[in-house]
Amino acid sequence: MASLALTVREAFRYRGRSGQISWIAHRLAGLAILGFVVIHIWDTANAFFAPHIYAWSLALFKHPLFALGEIGVMGAVLYHAFNGIRITLLDYKPEWWIHQNRSATIVWVLFLVLFIPISLYMFFSFMGHCSELAAQGMSCWTIPSLSDFPPGMFD
Amino acid sequence: MAAITEKTGITRRKVHIQGNFERRAFLFMRLSGIALLILAVGHMLIQHVLNSSTNLTIMFVAEQWNSWGWKLFDFLLLAFTIPHGINGLRNILEDYIHNKTAMKFINLLLLIFVVATLLWAGYAIINFDSTPFMN
Repeated sequence: MASLALTVREAFRYRGRSGQISWIAHRLAGLAILGFVVIHIWDTANAFFAPHIYAWSLALFKHPLFALGEIGVMGAVLYHAFNGIRITLLDYKPEWWIHQNRSATIVWVLFLVLFIPISLYMFFSFMGHCSELAAQGMSCWTIPSLSDFPPGMFD
Repeated sequence: MAAITEKTGITRRKVHIQGNFERRAFLFMRLSGIALLILAVGHMLIQHVLNSSTNLTIMFVAEQWNSWGWKLFDFLLLAFTIPHGINGLRNILEDYIHNKTAMKFINLLLLIFVVATLLWAGYAIINFDSTPFMN
């Protein structure tokens, strides 16, 4: 634990520049994806084991907080994927290490070029969903109740 | 113990050589990473951008899992994602937890978690029957 505190402190103090920022971003994005993916997988398995609970969770994931999280995961996947390929290439060809700094910049640019339009698209299509509900007198902020999804509803 | 052999003068030292596991784990992270560039980024773009979560229903899932192609895609995604993610978590934890006994215990828990998740979710994907949801 002491080393974790040290890492957090040194992350701001240590001037590792591009390589260090990539290293932190890669780890944080990886942890974020893992947290999401574990929930996502055990939830999706419910489509087989408990379909009514799965149907309820699909309704819950239409809540604005989950929609925001979904955009975040999209960004994390894109950055982690591109930076992971960069790491793999540099591990494979040590003679390319002189391009460390430039390759990190390329990854950030590639990430932003894709993530900015995609996140805007996801955000506005979610806003469209909310205003559709609002037109019907409902709200996308409503948290669905599990009792509306009784066991055996798909029998 | 270092011992100098009289004839050659070469120093022989008994060193503890780490098993092949870390080497294989390193290689696995790179290879599964390349596979996940297609599988995970593809999954995000297809399921979370082109198809929106806002109109996702169990009927849509049933329609996709009615084809073995989608079942195979999702099974591969599962099989690469969980070991890649948990091994990444293990790499991070090993940077911060220096107690070997604690780390052995955590590794065991992580291994059990990987196996349990693959069995549970893999069983669900393979055995999912679309017919009750499609009318």
